[in-house]
Amino acid sequence: MILQLNNAARVISSGGKKIALLENIDLNVNEGEFISLMGPSGSGKSTLLNCIGMLDNFTDGGYTFLDEQVHTMKEKQRSKLYKEYIGFVFQAYHLIDELTVYENIETPLLYKNVKSSERKALVADMLDRFNIVGKKDLFPSQLSGGQQQLVGIARALITKPKLILADEPTGNLNSKQSTEIMELFSELNKEGVTIIQATHSESNASYGSRIINLLDGSIVSE
Amino acid sequence: MIFNYIKIAFRSLLKNKGYSFLNIFGLAMGITCASLIFLWVEDEVSFNDSFAKQDQIYYIPTNQNYDGEWRTFYSTPGPLAQVMKDEIPGITKATRSSSEERLFTVGDNAINRRGRYADADFLEIFSLKFIEGDRDKAFNNPEAIVITKETAAQLFGENTKVFGKTIKVNNQDTYLITGVIENLPKNVSFPFDWVAPFERYRDGAEWMTTYGSNFSDTFVELSPEANFEEVDKKVREILPIKNTNSDTYAFLHTIKDWHLRSKFEGGKKVGGKIIFVRLFSIIALIILLIACINFMNLSTARSEKRANEVGVRKAIGSSRPRLMIQFVIESLMMAFFASLVSILLLFLILPQFNLLIEKELILGLSNPVHIGILFTITIICGVFAGLYPAFYLSSFKPVEVLKGLKVTSGSASFIRKGLVVGQFTISIVFIICTILVYQQIQHVKNRDLGYNKDHLIRMRANGNIIEKFSVFEQDLKNTGIVEGVALSNSQMLSAGNNGSGLEWQGGTNTEEVLISYRHVNSDFFKTTGIALIEGRGFKKNQNLDSTNVIISESFAKLMGDGSPIGKTITGGDDVYNVIGIAKNYQYGDMYGTSDPVMFFNNHNYARYFYIKTKSGVALNDMLASIEKVMKKNNPAFPFEYTFVDEAFNAVFKSEQLVGKLSQIFALLAILISCLGLFGLAAYTAEQRSKEIGVRKVLGASVTGIVKLLSKDFLKLVCIAILLAIPLAWLVMNNWLEDYAYRIEINWFVFVIAGFVAIIIALATVSFQAIRAAIANPVNSLKTE
Repeated sequence: MILQLNNAARVISSGGKKIALLENIDLNVNEGEFISLMGPSGSGKSTLLNCIGMLDNFTDGGYTFLDEQVHTMKEKQRSKLYKEYIGFVFQAYHLIDELTVYENIETPLLYKNVKSSERKALVADMLDRFNIVGKKDLFPSQLSGGQQQLVGIARALITKPKLILADEPTGNLNSKQSTEIMELFSELNKEGVTIIQATHSESNASYGSRIINLLDGSIVSE
Repeated sequence: MIFNYIKIAFRSLLKNKGYSFLNIFGLAMGITCASLIFLWVEDEVSFNDSFAKQDQIYYIPTNQNYDGEWRTFYSTPGPLAQVMKDEIPGITKATRSSSEERLFTVGDNAINRRGRYADADFLEIFSLKFIEGDRDKAFNNPEAIVITKETAAQLFGENTKVFGKTIKVNNQDTYLITGVIENLPKNVSFPFDWVAPFERYRDGAEWMTTYGSNFSDTFVELSPEANFEEVDKKVREILPIKNTNSDTYAFLHTIKDWHLRSKFEGGKKVGGKIIFVRLFSIIALIILLIACINFMNLSTARSEKRANEVGVRKAIGSSRPRLMIQFVIESLMMAFFASLVSILLLFLILPQFNLLIEKELILGLSNPVHIGILFTITIICGVFAGLYPAFYLSSFKPVEVLKGLKVTSGSASFIRKGLVVGQFTISIVFIICTILVYQQIQHVKNRDLGYNKDHLIRMRANGNIIEKFSVFEQDLKNTGIVEGVALSNSQMLSAGNNGSGLEWQGGTNTEEVLISYRHVNSDFFKTTGIALIEGRGFKKNQNLDSTNVIISESFAKLMGDGSPIGKTITGGDDVYNVIGIAKNYQYGDMYGTSDPVMFFNNHNYARYFYIKTKSGVALNDMLASIEKVMKKNNPAFPFEYTFVDEAFNAVFKSEQLVGKLSQIFALLAILISCLGLFGLAAYTAEQRSKEIGVRKVLGASVTGIVKLLSKDFLKLVCIAILLAIPLAWLVMNNWLEDYAYRIEINWFVFVIAGFVAIIIALATVSFQAIRAAIANPVNSLKTE
């Protein structure tokens, strides 16, 4: 079991009123699963992903990640945990404009204090694997959307995370690019990476091993 | 990692050229300005440093009591030096000294040179470096003179051995060169080109050997072990012991303080030019601060652009300290580029700056101190300017910024506004100060001096010109352009030659008051334009007035009620009749009230004459005519002259320097602030482009939008004006209090300064506002 949510909730107060973004979330994710979160806009998909990714916090309930109690942790420990085990893929790619493809992929390694020679080897492998060696010195603005997302995924994978969280990873892509990215995900999944993606698209969701439907912050069906 | 940061910083600099330019240029101006001030301060504080024994050398001023008030003079009685050396343990060397200008003639070569008559100890005390001759023996010959290398070259030509050669001095005496010394550096308080034995000064007149007349500079050298307090105590005691009927005592004043701390009030050291050193150091800091504020403002204003990067970096594992380091490195890079630009600027500006301040400052990049200071300024600027943006930017939460939520920058925009207010407050204070300094200088310059300084030429009475004065005067008048010729023992602008101990009848006023003596001729009053308000003037023949004096109005006041005409004044054995009263005239301290004056009709003491020329004569013709007369009557001396109005203007040199510098600083402060404002306005306009688009679609006019965008900034400037007014008032009121003759601070100055600030701010902001307002709304709305 990679993570377990136990009656988790996220409630915020806005203008004096309490608004529940997530309620009564019970979820067990096993290693090697490929989960698709579905639901209309505002149903809480992104919030759930962010909370699982520890960029945001549940305000109630229990969250266990690799047998550690996340909800009782301090910020620093949490950030150490997600740095180690979680990779993010964003809808808008969120590459750093000032960095080349190579440097974008390398950055997470810098933050993990990986040695220079080792970094070179790891990034070279990744470039090779994604077939983007020829583009390593280009800047994000010189790439197509699909290529940018490819770099985004490469960057998420470079630290060998156990879990990839993807928030509408193909939202900004055309159907051909979408298919390529989804096939890449399913390939990664076969290699043992656990993936949770949020998506609007039925066809994308079908790549997953498990579909969870959200509505107004609660799980309605599985 | 560091390398990675530098790389990103560099790319981000290139990518945002406009923003980088504003930042780097603003910071560069700040650093340039601070560097100039540093160079100036360094020069000022290093005065007299070139004397090897500077720690042991003391100047001896005297405090003299007049009318219950202690006044400090740099003049001492002749015997003081020797007596201190003989009787005070700890004083190993002492010298009398007096500064004089002399005409040196070698063959056809004649030049005027300022130098000093002094005792042999002078050469030792100031460790003069001999190129030719021997320091120990230089003054063995009573006809000796030691000259600088430069003077030797001017008289005899470059690279000539001059030891043992003779110089004709003032066309009458012969001096024997017994030594050539290295030129003195520029920054000594008392530059001199020659030194000759003191015995030759005024032919060793009788009065120079008494304690009654203070005329000589005295310098002493203390032994390295001497205790300053003990020696100073003895020095203070010695004059009252030697000269019991005088309220005068001497004291030690280190030559290290000579340049910057030589202002005395009530006999106590109260500072001096050091105040300018402090003032300008503070100004340098303030200007740097303004430049750093620009950086902070622009960086935080740009935060939305950076927010995304912060979010991504945090999501892929960056900690907050790492992000902060990254941002600080970025600002350090910026500061580094700025200091490179400022070195370039310094190369361009320094020659002009030197002209302005009349110094010869050099950039001296090979000097490790200079490089060190520049480096320190750069680092401090970089860290200081980068820290707040780093703190602010790194605080963003990845979830919010990655979602594209608006960065809630309530506190940041408040701080940003506060910083803009701060910048403008400083700028407005500078503007107000500049105006007031200018007004004060003009005020004093336009002061009624009691005489007419226009068309008045001063010349030195050289050689035997006084003996044949009547011929000379007639020659001058025959040119047809001269209205009158006055003789005087003193310069019109100078104080000095004064004394006490006069007594007069008809009043109770017998206490000691300092009276200035002026020995003049009969035409003096008519020529200078000092009006006689009672009685008569002097007779042409001075012998007819040998016991008559004319006194100034202020002197007449001292003598009590009733007309002083016909009363007598007693000074020692002499009794003088008052025959006339002259209007007060201003001399010495142009800001104060001048001491009372007693005029004698006596040509023999004349050291200067003043020529009043007719107005409307071309300058060149006038000078040519006068030169002809001078050459005829005094052929041995070069034709040298000073216009009194120019000399008068020169009196205000340090005030004018402050005035000019404050103008420059005010300009810089405004300019840097405007750079910041310009950048800020650009970002605001960009940030609100969607809002502007919507408003335009809904029918807003261009002027309406320009108003909308400018209003916020104007509010800030108005707050700055409100803050600046009391601040500037405090500062300037304090400054003006140092001057007895001063302006009143007029509220109108504040109105003008405020108005100027608003206009400048408006011009800066409206450029951006108009650009945003006339943009096609389709473009700004489509991008969403």
